[in-house]
Parts: sequence; C-alpha cells; structure tokens
Amino acid sequence: MRQVLVIVGKEFGDRLRSGWVIACALVWLGAIALTSLFGLVQIGRIGIQGYDRTVASLLNLVQYLVPLLALLLGHDLLVSEREERTLALIIAGGVTRARALLGKFLGGCLALAFPLVLGLLIAGTIIGLSAKDKAVGPFLTMAFSGLGLGLIFVGVGSLLSVFCRTRVQALVCALLAWCIVVFAFDLIAMGTVVIVDSTRAAREIEAATDATHVTSIAETHNAFEGADDSAARIVAERSRRVAAWLAINPVDLFRAVNLPKSTNVAVPPWLLVSSVVLWLGGPLGMAVWKFRRTDL
Amino acid sequence: MGAFLQFKSLAKNYGRVVALRGVDLSVERGQVLALLGPNGAGKSTLFGCLLGLLRQGRGEILLDGSCIADSHRLHFGYLPERIALYPQRSVWENGLFFARLKNCAPTELERQLKRVGLYAVADRPVRQLSKGMLQRLGLAISLCGEPELLVLDEPFNGLDPALLDGLQQILRDESERGATLLVSTHTISAIEPLATHVAILLEGELVESGALDQLRAAHKNTSLEAIYHCVAREKSAAAKEQVFA
Repeated sequence: MRQVLVIVGKEFGDRLRSGWVIACALVWLGAIALTSLFGLVQIGRIGIQGYDRTVASLLNLVQYLVPLLALLLGHDLLVSEREERTLALIIAGGVTRARALLGKFLGGCLALAFPLVLGLLIAGTIIGLSAKDKAVGPFLTMAFSGLGLGLIFVGVGSLLSVFCRTRVQALVCALLAWCIVVFAFDLIAMGTVVIVDSTRAAREIEAATDATHVTSIAETHNAFEGADDSAARIVAERSRRVAAWLAINPVDLFRAVNLPKSTNVAVPPWLLVSSVVLWLGGPLGMAVWKFRRTDL
Repeated sequence: MGAFLQFKSLAKNYGRVVALRGVDLSVERGQVLALLGPNGAGKSTLFGCLLGLLRQGRGEILLDGSCIADSHRLHFGYLPERIALYPQRSVWENGLFFARLKNCAPTELERQLKRVGLYAVADRPVRQLSKGMLQRLGLAISLCGEPELLVLDEPFNGLDPALLDGLQQILRDESERGATLLVSTHTISAIEPLATHVAILLEGELVESGALDQLRAAHKNTSLEAIYHCVAREKSAAAKEQVFA
C-alpha cells in the first residue's frame, strides 16, 4: 500500500507541477459559469439559473468534456513511463505490476477529480448564493456521476496505455475511443436495432436518438416548464425503453441518471451499479492482466 | 545449503529470436560475478528476467532456494545500462521517489548521495546533469537500503578515469559489506580487479563460468580479457566445425 501511495503522490505531483490541475479547474469554473448564465438561451432566458436548470444545461458539456479529459489523462499513464524507461526502474525496485498500475490509475483519478470537484464546489456555491437555490440534489448527483464517468474513462485510458507501445498510438486510440462513446455509439446501436429487429426499428431508433442526442436538451427544459406535459411523458416512455442500451455506454448512462425527475427517466439501480462496476473493473482487470504479460 | 541465486535452464525468446538458451548459473552470496559477452549475447535479457522486467520462457530463477518474487526485489539494487529518470525533477526528488518505493528513509538517500558526490547538487534538475552525474545518481538510487544483490548493467560506460576509480571503490566497499554483485560489462579491465567469478555468454548460451582464479589456471592466461577472447574464439571455431560437419 505504501508503494501505491508513493506512486499516487508522484503522479498527482507531476500533474500539479505541469499545470494540468489548475488548467482543468479553470476550465470547469468557466464552463459551469457560462452554462449557468447562458444555458437557457434556447428557451429565451439569460442569467444565473438554479441547480436543476444548470445541471440540465451542463449535461452535454460534462458528457463530452469529462471523458475527453479522462482519456487524455489516462492514455499517458503507463506508456510514457515505458517509453522513457523509468517504469523499468520502478518494477526492478520490487513494485509489483498490479501495484504500479493501481498507483498510476489512482494518481490519474486524483488529478482528474481534484479540479473537477474544486470547480463544481466553487460554481455550486456561487449558484446557490446567487440564485438562492437550496435544492442542491440534482447538482450533487451530476457532480458524483460526472466524477464516476471520469474515473471510468481514466480506467479505459489506462487500459489503452498498457496495450499501446507508443504515446502517439495511445493518443490516437484514446481519441478514437472518445469518438466512439460520445458520437458513434448511438449510430452503432441504431444500426444494430435495424439489423436485428427491423419491425420495431423505427420506434427504437426514435427512442435511442431522443435519449442521447444533443438537441433533446431543449425538450428537457420544456419539461421543466410544465407547459407541455406530453413532452415529459414522451421522454420518460422513450427512456424506459432504451435503458438497456444506455447501460452499455457509460456516457449515455450518465445522461440518463441526470435527466430531471419531471421527465420520469428511470434507470434501474441494479443496471446502474452493475454497469459502473463492469466499466470500472473490466478495463482495470484487463490492464493488469496485459501488463503482467508485457516485457519492459 | 544451496546457492544464493540460481538460474536453472533459463530460456527466453523474443518472437523467433532466441535470447537465452537454457542458462544454468549459480551465484553464491558475496560473489562479484562479471558477466561478459558481446552485444546481443543475452546479458541484459538475463538481468531483465532476474529483475522481473521480462517474462522468462522456460526455466526458473531461485533466490535462497525459492522462486524469485517481487518482494525479494525490494532488496535488490539495479543500475540500468541507460539510466532514465524524471528530467523535470531534481536529483533529490528523483532519489527520494525511488528510495520511498524501497521503504528507505531520506537520511539513507542523503548518505548515498554524499557517497557518490552528488549531495551538493541535490537541488539541480536531472535534465541539467552530465552523463557521469546521471550515472552516479543511478548508482546512489541502486545503493539505497544496502541491497543484498546489486545488478549493474554496463556501469563503466562513458566514465572518465576519476569517476571509474570512484565507482570501483564503491563496488569494492559494497562487496566488503557482503553484497552480491552481478556486473555486465564490455570494459573488462575495469571489472577485473573486483571480480571473484566470471560468466561468459555467447549467443544466449553460457559457455564458461567459474571462479576467476580457476579460469586463469585453466586457460593459462593472466588477464580476464585474454580468457574472454580465448573462450570466444574456441566457441566460434566449434560453431564453424559444426556447420561444416
């Protein structure tokens, strides 16, 4: 455990020294402030909104940015040390490969979580004071689920870092992975539905698209207004049908968890927990397995 | 009682390239073993298997009679052929990171840095160090915690005569302390005054091993370098004979 902590400390120290942590915190602060101010432009409002509205506006930003930052952080964790040959000195010093990987992963998680939490904490306090909103629940849900999303993708990045031989290769794989989970997954899911079950394809395509697509944000805000109850019912009905699809992709799962209660989107807890456990444990387990079989 | 360190039929391939062909070698505690051989003979591969950097193929490595494990390596010191450290971090920070991994106190690192003459530049970033200084820092790191086995891969490369003398003295002191030393080198004249035993690897095969005194007596040569060249020639001639036969 001591060795793991030493590696975690070194990893976090390196990120702090390189300016990554500060830059990330500033990005988050700026992003949250801007989305809180201008998040409702689509329905004609400008100004700091309450927690629930800020969360609805932030969903797209978090689902794009957090996996990207996490993958950019994770892809580099091991492959860079292997290229620089410092990893050999660590392993030769009696550190098991599993411990080395765990230390690097936890260090990466800390480097991602620290600015994320700091940014959300400061922005959350400002929103609470400015909008005089005490219903902090949705904001906390988004903070925790966003953090979980980040940790999952640091794990995926670590896996890529173990499998790739060079930093460039790992970076390309990380960007490809990001494109797949954020953009291509929905298309692949819809294509699969069409191929496997063409009779219900039209309904499923519509459902999957509405639950995950960027433009559904306006629909979500409309659901808050209560002016169009049918919109909320439609979203809820569709989201229930695509729950199984969402569990495959942590980005969509994050989105489903954070959709406002008024839309009645329900992801079964067992599905949520098992998906998160699989997405965290799977890549890390595979990374340890591969790393133990890799010559340095 | 068995040997301190034993390589038993150790084999290692890189794809179709055979790097080690069933190496059998025993090292007693306190020996200074000079591992000799041309480039590509398998010296670094042997060290890599010992240190857990490479997966061994067939065979096994035993330490005090039991299969070598990661926990044993806490008591090893390793100086790679090309020392790689964190260039943005200082001498002290680099040393402290590796010392902490081995559970060594900062005072131990301070002692070793003073020993290799780098304590005065402990605040200097590693990227500003010369090759000789980098080599000494690597040595200080490997010496932290008074390891019972020191594995040094080409430690004499690129050192000026003064640094070479200093390194030889440190290795002599370590040997007197009771540490076991495995040293691979092409600078045979530098290891000769220190070595108690010699192993010669050619094309992944251990072609000669034993106490230096016995080898000298057997080959009727006075210098280790002459013994090495003689063994290499004999092996080469035997290989040619096999081809023509």
